[in-house]
Amino acid sequence: MTAGTPKLRVEGATKAFGGNVALAPTTLALRPGEFVSLVGPSGCGKSTLFNVVSGLLRPDLGSVLLDGEDITGTSGNVGYMLQKDLLVPWRTVVDNITLGAALTRGVTRDDRAQAVDFAERYGLGGFVDHYPHALSGGMRQRVALMRTLATNHDVLLLDEPFGALDAQTRLEMQQWLLQVWADTERTVLFVTHDVDESIFLSDRVLVMSPRPGRIAAELAVELPRPRTLNLMTTPGFNDIKREILALLHARDAA
Amino acid sequence: MNAGTIIRGVLTPVISIALVFLVWDLIIRGFGVQTFVAPSPGETLDALRDNWSTLWPLALETIRETVYGFIVGAVLGFVLAVAMAQTRIVQGLVYPVLIVSQAVPIIAIAAPLVILLGFGIAPKIVIVAWIVFFPVAVNVLDGLANVDRELLNLARAMGGSRSRVFLHIRLPATVTPLYTGLKIGATYAVTGAVIGELVASTGSSLAGFQREANSSLDTPAVWAAMLLMTIIGIGWFLLVVGVEYVTTPWKHRATHRRLRFRATNDPRS
Repeated sequence: MTAGTPKLRVEGATKAFGGNVALAPTTLALRPGEFVSLVGPSGCGKSTLFNVVSGLLRPDLGSVLLDGEDITGTSGNVGYMLQKDLLVPWRTVVDNITLGAALTRGVTRDDRAQAVDFAERYGLGGFVDHYPHALSGGMRQRVALMRTLATNHDVLLLDEPFGALDAQTRLEMQQWLLQVWADTERTVLFVTHDVDESIFLSDRVLVMSPRPGRIAAELAVELPRPRTLNLMTTPGFNDIKREILALLHARDAA
Repeated sequence: MNAGTIIRGVLTPVISIALVFLVWDLIIRGFGVQTFVAPSPGETLDALRDNWSTLWPLALETIRETVYGFIVGAVLGFVLAVAMAQTRIVQGLVYPVLIVSQAVPIIAIAAPLVILLGFGIAPKIVIVAWIVFFPVAVNVLDGLANVDRELLNLARAMGGSRSRVFLHIRLPATVTPLYTGLKIGATYAVTGAVIGELVASTGSSLAGFQREANSSLDTPAVWAAMLLMTIIGIGWFLLVVGVEYVTTPWKHRATHRRLRFRATNDPRS
């Protein structure tokens, strides 16, 4: 970890439901502008960790710090996006992007201008007045990410955002996300089952394991940016992939 | 709207109703049914035309009862549903009363209401509202209970306050079930008004007209009154469907049609 205050820090966060420890004491820190992925099977505590960071769940022990400030158990401090796009069917694309403002303080002219700007910059220009049902799955996820960006939080929590998309669209969306990330300089915590996806996107990959949910290993992805699809077939990429698969497999065998 | 939609949406119901009239006509003619037993469609329409000057003001009165009662019932049903959705205690207290209210035969409630409220429009409004509020309350309550959990979590993660989440997520989510309830209510509303007229009738109502025509063996007029009541019911139902269509553009249109300067300058959410 470099010097200076981490953008996001989770300090010994622990959560149990009944007698089940969903998340063993977990500590992690994200540098400003860093892209970190969590990979792991179902039940490895990633959703619990996400809900703790987003403030939907208060940890039994430990704390969550944003820019060094304690935000444990409070929501509305980070952007949050799930596999389901959760677009509101009665709101147009631009109205969905401004949902965060509507839910917190009321939508201003600037919010709308920013939403239209996001939409136009990231491939939704002709669709600002469309209703979600008229969009493809990939476009809906773009709108969902725009909505997350429009909350203007420095930290984005993305929980398998491309998990429901077909392989082709998923690859497109990964490249698109890297472009958005590079443009907007946000700090991203990204959950996925897809090892390739985690390596392709991230600066670091955290491998989680279940019973109890915990971070089992951490791997730095020191591959050059900007990244293109060619990266996925390079020896450096495969070395990391082999390592992660071995970690996941070792846990399965145990 | 393409040709297929027009055929499905307009032409098929017209054809099916025309078929009903055709079968009606064939039965009357085929079995040689006497007019005073049952009139043919033609005789019924003739009776409707001949009595139009009497029937039209009565129909307006029935429409008034239906509309007022419908609005009272819809508002009451909606408010009850929202109140019940707030806490389990309110729901536990109100829901049984809801069920009991519908277990009372509506015909049986008419007489006590007329005794209580007199022979004016009041008992009719109450009866219509009595019928309409139930499907509205049940459907809206269902809609409020079934708002996507994950969407509510997302709204909370965004820092949404309880009142704003209600305004922007939960309330709009009731629109579809609300219209389901309103459409069910619309088909029954006229029935409620007519029951009220039947019990409270002093003669100047559609139900009263029908009873008088009945006692004077003017069967075509009896049928004409029935046809008119049916038409009012269908008209009201179609109006509700039309309002739903206009107020829920996201269900049938790809885009919200509005000028771009409004899209960027309208600060409302």
